[in-house]
Amino acid sequence: MAEATQPDLAVALGGLRLSWPTLMGSGCYGSGEEYAPFIDLAALGGVVLKSVTRHPRLGNAAPRLVSTPSGLLNAIGLQNPGIDAYLENDVAKFADRPCAVIGSVAGFSVDDYAYVTERLAARDEIDAIELNISCPNVGTEGETFACDPSLAEAATRAARGVTDKTLIVKLSPNVTDIAAIARVVEAAGADALAVINTVRGMSIDVDRWTPRLGNANGGLSGPAIRPVAVLAVWEVAQAVKIPIVGQGGIETARDALEFILAGASAVGIGTGNFTDPRVPLNVVDGIRDYLAARGHATLSEIVGKANPRFAGVR
Amino acid sequence: MYTLERSPAVHRTVVSDRREPVPGIVILGLHVPRLASITLPGQFAMVVPPSGEQEATALGIYEAEGERVSLMLVVVGPRTRELAELQIGALLDLLAPLGNGFELEALGDNVALIAGGVGIASLLLPAQALAARGARLTLLYGARTAAALVDADRFAALGAKVVLATDDGTRGHAGFVTELLRALPKHAFSGIAGCGPSPMLRAVGRAAAYLDIPAQLALEETFACGVGACWGCVVPHAASSTGTPVGLIRAKRAEPPARESDRFCYARICKEGPVFWAHELRW
Repeated sequence: MAEATQPDLAVALGGLRLSWPTLMGSGCYGSGEEYAPFIDLAALGGVVLKSVTRHPRLGNAAPRLVSTPSGLLNAIGLQNPGIDAYLENDVAKFADRPCAVIGSVAGFSVDDYAYVTERLAARDEIDAIELNISCPNVGTEGETFACDPSLAEAATRAARGVTDKTLIVKLSPNVTDIAAIARVVEAAGADALAVINTVRGMSIDVDRWTPRLGNANGGLSGPAIRPVAVLAVWEVAQAVKIPIVGQGGIETARDALEFILAGASAVGIGTGNFTDPRVPLNVVDGIRDYLAARGHATLSEIVGKANPRFAGVR
Repeated sequence: MYTLERSPAVHRTVVSDRREPVPGIVILGLHVPRLASITLPGQFAMVVPPSGEQEATALGIYEAEGERVSLMLVVVGPRTRELAELQIGALLDLLAPLGNGFELEALGDNVALIAGGVGIASLLLPAQALAARGARLTLLYGARTAAALVDADRFAALGAKVVLATDDGTRGHAGFVTELLRALPKHAFSGIAGCGPSPMLRAVGRAAAYLDIPAQLALEETFACGVGACWGCVVPHAASSTGTPVGLIRAKRAEPPARESDRFCYARICKEGPVFWAHELRW
C-alpha cells in the first residue's frame, strides 16, 4: 500500500496561488519582516501588508489600543508614508519574501482607490491587491465605501479597471446586509472577499469620564468577534461564488475550520499573532491533521460543508 | 538594526525560581540558554501566555546572567495572574530580547536612576553595567507605599546611594519621587535613566530639562505585537528620527508654525524605543 500523502492545503484566489490557506491580516503584521525572527515566512500563505493611502497619514493620537475581554480595540488611523514614499522606500524590500505579498490599498475617494491600486499593482514585488474599503478608524470617510453598496461597487470597479492581479475586497461587518455588499463587489469584478474587518466599538474610562482610545471609537478584533465573523462568512458564502478569506479571532485550527466549513476557502490571522507568532503554523498543522484523520485529500473538499446553501465553487 | 548575534527569537524557558518580595509583585527566574548574554539593559520580552487564552505580555528584563533571566511582574489582571501563578518547572516562551536599550555611555559617570513602581525592573541591568564601568550611582525610587518597594538593597549593593519616596509617606520622602529630582541643583548628575508610568516620566523629562541633564526614559505601554508590526504603541517624537509622516503639534494655529520643535511623528515605543531621549519626546 502506498504511503499516505499529506492533504493538499493549497488554495487559489483568482490567479493568486497560495501554498497555505493562511493570510496574515493587514495592519497586524507590518510588512512581514517584523515577524521574520520568530516564524519562517515560507510557512505562511501570504502577508497582507499594512494599508497605504494616496497621501501620508500621521495616524491617530495615542492611546491606539485597549485590551477588552477576549478582544483588542484599536484605532491606529492608517498611519503610513503615502504611496510615493512607500513605492520609493518600502516596496523593493518585499521582493524576496517566500510567501505571497498582498498590497493593501485604503482611500477616501473612488479616484484614490484607482490611483493607489494602479501604482502599487504595477510593482512586481506585489502579487495581489486587497482593497481596504472598511477601515472604521478614520472618521466617517474610510468605512463609507464598505457600507454603501454603490460606493463599494464603484471602488471595486475602479480598482478592477487598473490591474489584472488578484483583487481581494475586504468587507465590513458594520452593515445591515453584508451579503448584499458582497454581491455588488463580486459583480464589480473582485476575485475574492476578505470577511471581516474589525467590528466598531468603544471603551470608556469611568474614572476620567472619557473614551479610552485617542480616536474615541475603534475596531474590535480577537476571539470576541469570531462568532460575528463566522456568521458573516456563512451569509456571504450563500451569496457569491468567488472565494472568501474568513477572518476574525482565529487562534487555532478548529477556529479556522469553523470559517472553512461556513464557506471560506482561506483564513486570515491577525490579532492571533499577538498571542503567539506561531499561531499560523499551528493552524496549518491542525488543519492538515484534521483532513488526514477524516480521509480528505484536499482542503477544498470541505469548504462550505456546514453551509447547506453554500453557493461557491469548491 | 540588530546584529545577527543579538537578533530576537522565540526562547523556550523553564521557571527555575520564583520570589514574591512583597505581596502582589512576583519575580520569575527563568532558565534559558543564550538569552542573558545578548540582552542589553533596557530591553524587554513579550511573554507568550501559557494558556494561549490571553494576549502576550510585555515585561522588562530584570536580571540577566549566565543561563538565567528574570521578569518582575505586578499582578493587575488575568494575564499577569496567570504568569504569577506559574510554578517551578513550568515552561514559558518569550519573544526576546526586544527594543532598544539604554545608551549608557552617553549618560556619563555620575548617573541618577529614577524609578516609579515596577519601573525599577528595567533599571537593575543598567545599574549593573554602569557600576561595572565605575560610574557613581544614585537611585531615586518611588512607590505607592513602603510595602511596594522592591529590591532597593540590590542597588545599594552596587554602591548606589538610595533615596526612597512613597506616596503615602510610609517610607522616605512623602510624595512623588520626581519632587526629589526637581529639588536638586542644576547639573547635579551627568545623566538620568528613568523608568515608570508615563505621568511620572513626563515629570522626569521636565525636571531633567530644568536641571539641564540629559535623560533617557524607558516607557511603559500596553503593546499588542511588541515587534513593530501593529503601530499601536506610539508616542509623539521629534520628527527627525524616523521616516514616518510628520505632523505639527500646533497644527490648528492660524499662522504657520515654523519651529522645528513643533514637528513630530509617531514613533513606536516597542521598536524605536522603549528607551527614548527625554528631549526628543513631544508628549
